[in-house]
Amino acid sequence: MKKLLALLLSLTMVVSMAACTKKEDPATNNNNNSSNNNSGATATTAPTAAPKKVTLNVTTTYAGNDGNAQNYQDAVAAWEKASGNKVNDSSSTSDETFKARVLADFETGSEPDVLFFFNGVDSNSFVQAGKVVSIDEIRQSYPDYASNMKDGMLGASPADGKNYSVPVNGYWEGMFVNKEVCKAAGVEIPDANTTWDQFLETCQKIKDAGYAPIAVSLATVPHYWFEFAIYNYTSSTTHSKLPGSASDAQGQAWVNGLNDIKMLYEKGYFPENTLTGTDDETVQLFIDNKAAFLIDGSWKVGGIEGLTSNIENFTVTYIPGKNQRKTTDIIGGLSSGYYITKKAWDDPDKRAAAVEFITYMTSDEMVSKFANVSATALKNGSSVDESQLSNLAKDGLALVKGATGMTGAVQDLIPTECRVPVFDGMPNLVTGKSDITESVQSVLDLIAAQ
Amino acid sequence: MHFLWPYFKRGETMTAHIYKNKKPIIFFLAPAFAFIIIFLYYPFIQNIINSFQEISGLGSSAKGWADPWYSNYVKLVKDENMWIALKNTLIMLLVTVFGQVGIALLLSILTDRISHGAKFFRVVYFFPIVISATALGLLFNLIFLYDKGMINQLREIFGATELVDFKSKAYALITMMIPVMWQYVGFYFIILVTGLNNISTELYEAAAIDGATPFQQVKFISLPLLQNVISTCVILAVTGSLKVFDLPWTMFPKGLPNGETWLTGTYMYYQVFNANNVDYSSAIAVVIVILGVILSKLVNSIFKEKEF
Repeated sequence: MKKLLALLLSLTMVVSMAACTKKEDPATNNNNNSSNNNSGATATTAPTAAPKKVTLNVTTTYAGNDGNAQNYQDAVAAWEKASGNKVNDSSSTSDETFKARVLADFETGSEPDVLFFFNGVDSNSFVQAGKVVSIDEIRQSYPDYASNMKDGMLGASPADGKNYSVPVNGYWEGMFVNKEVCKAAGVEIPDANTTWDQFLETCQKIKDAGYAPIAVSLATVPHYWFEFAIYNYTSSTTHSKLPGSASDAQGQAWVNGLNDIKMLYEKGYFPENTLTGTDDETVQLFIDNKAAFLIDGSWKVGGIEGLTSNIENFTVTYIPGKNQRKTTDIIGGLSSGYYITKKAWDDPDKRAAAVEFITYMTSDEMVSKFANVSATALKNGSSVDESQLSNLAKDGLALVKGATGMTGAVQDLIPTECRVPVFDGMPNLVTGKSDITESVQSVLDLIAAQ
Repeated sequence: MHFLWPYFKRGETMTAHIYKNKKPIIFFLAPAFAFIIIFLYYPFIQNIINSFQEISGLGSSAKGWADPWYSNYVKLVKDENMWIALKNTLIMLLVTVFGQVGIALLLSILTDRISHGAKFFRVVYFFPIVISATALGLLFNLIFLYDKGMINQLREIFGATELVDFKSKAYALITMMIPVMWQYVGFYFIILVTGLNNISTELYEAAAIDGATPFQQVKFISLPLLQNVISTCVILAVTGSLKVFDLPWTMFPKGLPNGETWLTGTYMYYQVFNANNVDYSSAIAVVIVILGVILSKLVNSIFKEKEF
């Protein structure tokens, strides 16, 4: 028994020591060699030897209700089959938690190899920390990388003006409409000529008919209403600018916009569970003919197609405007793209796989498939077969064609953690628990502190 | 094991020697000790230091000492959400003690007194423990869902016309605490059943011969002899309630609605991963530790173990 005890103790120690010993990772060795080689060479060439099969850690926003979630999964499966590599996917719905998770991963050194992420200020922290590789640097080894894209539309980083990401599909934001609810409430579907006041009247009629006029989860995704409520006090040329303070003209536009959201809440135009339900839950209300309107992005076209068996019941139109903003002024652009992290780039095997993966995912064919009805940066333009599109998708194309002005989202200029007072705090703003002007100032102070 | 040879003389057995000479024991304990120092005590002390510093992001180095150095603690006292979190955590503590341990005690006594099917009930009550808290959170999300949730559907069957939002301010705390309570009843149930099994059946038989009713048997035999086990369960429940995180976060992320459901654990997590307030969340972590130590001491002093 004592012998056994001694043996167990010895084994415990050996195991402990083994656990504490750093295992030499071949990739690390390769890293060192690779970085040594790179430092001495002005231009390297793509490795000619067949790279080892690897598992790429990839994170994107193609998940949940995103219209391209299935396209993405199909594309990943096809690439895995063709390349022999594997993808360890951690894609997640695009919300504040996703952004915070990705940024925290970078800060703690556990970033993915490839990520499809926003190219606005959200990316500043990891761009400034040198944790992603610029397209210029990638092209030194892979001259044809992203050569099918217009460089001017890649989405240069606000941090240093360089291109880091390769976009796939652009976006526009519009107001999706449940026709059946409008018909049941006896209201006209808003169009390019509908004013804000007319829209409020429509909402009241829908509410009186026993439906929720606007499907939104202020608790989790107040982003779209934040954007358009402010847009109604700016214009397509002035919208995408940060205020200097809550009291200047731009700051007042923010305060007024947020006050409008509060007014909509107080009038009862949002669902009963807008402060407690998730975005998925409120979208489901819209799909189930219990809510009339839903502001969302072009990615929702595919999402709605996937959620309903009656796509003809849905259309998309302009969000009614007021003041300088015309109803037909929309928000859109190319706000996300594929990045290769420095960690993957420094690993010779993963480097090749990452480049190959992104090249595959951003080919003309794939981009056309993903973009569907939204904008792309393709030199040759996307090829969309309109005969294959649903009426909802065609309505989306018509919306973009009829737009009189387009601007990027102002929230793309606000780092994620600085949005907390108005995004996470939206329920408090609409219920009067927090002061709107003070919260706007808090956002600006947080930005200034950075 | 040749590395042990220097400790032994020729012909001497290792087994005898290992108990006389303490050096090998220290040698064996050292790796685990180093491990716990590096991964528990060092981060703990660093966390206390962080709470007095200014740190803008997770993983980024401190910009320096906060000005004034105790500013995070001042903020903490003034932070309405922190007070809500503390209040909710204390409610959670009461719910775990009376709900989890109390119900577990009742179930274990009832199960102990049935002659058939005791094993079945043990498995049934223990089962929630093996399901992950996140899965349970999603499960209860569906049960309490506003539209098409299980409870609202049942209400509709019985004639209700209005949907009830069980996550609204009026119901949020109850909705959050019921699943937490439900999840751990089985854990304490098993501990208490084991305690009951250790009580000799002769005592019950003797009591029955003396004319004691089943209620009297429980009151005068089961409960007194279970006191030490109950005491252990209460201590586990109190310390556990301070650490509850995953299930509430899954059901009520970001303290919704309107920050009404913050717990100290969820609020600390939110401050790190959503608000990037690393220094402030470190201060919250310090408060959680202090609270844990005080409450554990308090419970220990109330439930002093008895020798029988």
